[in-house]
Amino acid sequence: MNGTGAVYQKEIATYFRSPIAYYVVAVFLLGSGYFFLYNIFLGGETAMAGTFQNMGILLLTLVPVISMRLMATEYSAGTAELLLTLPLAPWQIVLGKFLGAVTILLLIIAGTLVDLVPLYLFGTPETTTILAGYIGFLLLGLACLAVGLLFSTVTHNQIVAALLTAAVLLGFWFVGHLQTFQASPAVRSLIGYLSFSLHFTDFIQGLVRTEGVVFYLVVTAIALTLSAGYLQWRR
Amino acid sequence: MSASPVIALESVSKRYGARTVVHDLSFTVAQGEIVGFLGPNGAGKTTTMRMIAGFIAATSGRVTVAGRDMATENVDAARLIGYLPERPPLYDALDVSAYLRFVAKVKGVRRAAITGEIERVATACRLEAVLDDEIFKLSKGYRQRLGLAQALLGAPEVLLLDEPTAGLDPGQIQETREVIRAFGADHAVLLSTHILAEATLICRRVAIINHGRLLAIDSPTGLQNAVEQTNRVVLRVTAEASALREALMSVDGVRAVDIRTDAADAGVLSVECQVGAHDRVEAAIARAVAGRWDLHQLERRQPTLENIFLRYVQERPERGEVA
Repeated sequence: MNGTGAVYQKEIATYFRSPIAYYVVAVFLLGSGYFFLYNIFLGGETAMAGTFQNMGILLLTLVPVISMRLMATEYSAGTAELLLTLPLAPWQIVLGKFLGAVTILLLIIAGTLVDLVPLYLFGTPETTTILAGYIGFLLLGLACLAVGLLFSTVTHNQIVAALLTAAVLLGFWFVGHLQTFQASPAVRSLIGYLSFSLHFTDFIQGLVRTEGVVFYLVVTAIALTLSAGYLQWRR
Repeated sequence: MSASPVIALESVSKRYGARTVVHDLSFTVAQGEIVGFLGPNGAGKTTTMRMIAGFIAATSGRVTVAGRDMATENVDAARLIGYLPERPPLYDALDVSAYLRFVAKVKGVRRAAITGEIERVATACRLEAVLDDEIFKLSKGYRQRLGLAQALLGAPEVLLLDEPTAGLDPGQIQETREVIRAFGADHAVLLSTHILAEATLICRRVAIINHGRLLAIDSPTGLQNAVEQTNRVVLRVTAEASALREALMSVDGVRAVDIRTDAADAGVLSVECQVGAHDRVEAAIARAVAGRWDLHQLERRQPTLENIFLRYVQERPERGEVA
């Protein structure tokens, strides 16, 4: 694990010595704060469901900014030649980088906890529903970051990586809408299973379903495995 | 050559689609040996270095480093290799000590020894003054030396250096050569360079590669002897050209004679005799000339490594290994 830890520390140092981490965290907290205030004061809601829904979409737009540089900059800066010739297995590189990106996600989540203060001060929200929403948000974030890392691994260009990630994540988010146009129950079921947003909706309604947990973890595992596999294959 | 090979390439080829960039390459580097890798741009040097370092895999053939097969044991072998790629692989956002700390950790340097290890390579590469500087602020020379420093971290058994002195000033080049020479005394070093004098100065053997093929590998002296045609004896004589040619051609060992009038000195002829690399004919030539004409100069000119290199890469692209 030493190698993974060293890569992780390098990633964190790189994030926080550039404006990216600050930018992403600040934009997310401003955005989610706005939606929270809107839902509470204008929507009259004393729950987080509406805010979580908005946070999910906000996350989809910011994940490509976090993930695009993960491997693509290593190729363009020539540092991939160092990273891939050090005593590091591909999975150690992928895991170290992924955990670095997950740290940004955890900072975002920690920042949104401030929203809970007025919620508990002035209302009686359901703690278990909020907890389920955060679990869903974390799992959604893991899957999105893993997909972003995969596209950053297979291209040398950060912008291309970001665009591919955004396109695929938005596709997974909105694929659920296609259910309306399908007559076949099997296809409807498949589309429903592949939808990031439908699983997420379960969580923000307080339902932590095994199906949803497994779905996000499987997407994460597949994307990370493909990233490590690509690094091995490209030799 | 003393010890067993630390780096060994056996019939190694690398293809990208239909294009073969390295053809059937075989050579070894032993412990305590610095081997220079010479070739024009696009000859396949960097591809070969990358295969040895484990960055890319050979399409066919076998690369081993300290007995480990780089196709299957590259991660294990990487602990034994210090590699400086052609473009120093630096993280601009980090400062120098954070960068070296990262490389040291990945190379498995014990936590307690990391600071000492960084000091050791920083001293060897003269980086003490910039340890706290961010890498993006460093000059080209410092970037190159930092690339070398990371390669030296963790006491590797093998050093692979792709153009290690590129971008350095003459003083830095001298210091870097000393570092490499000291390391090469008891380790294996493969050094890619365009500077032929560098190869002559610090390498025990020199490998010449072009179009992905190994044209020759031998000591600089061995290469000079192998290229017989380029040994010349040069004279300046006041004489009549045809009689002089006849006299010189009668000397045993002289293969060809080229006579030109000296533009700067009327009546004096500039003569170039082609002789075998092992023929010591200067005295016989002097005897044949001195009795009859005024001999102003007689000098044997051995081929420079530059001549040898150019001859190999321009005239003998299909030649095989000579040693």
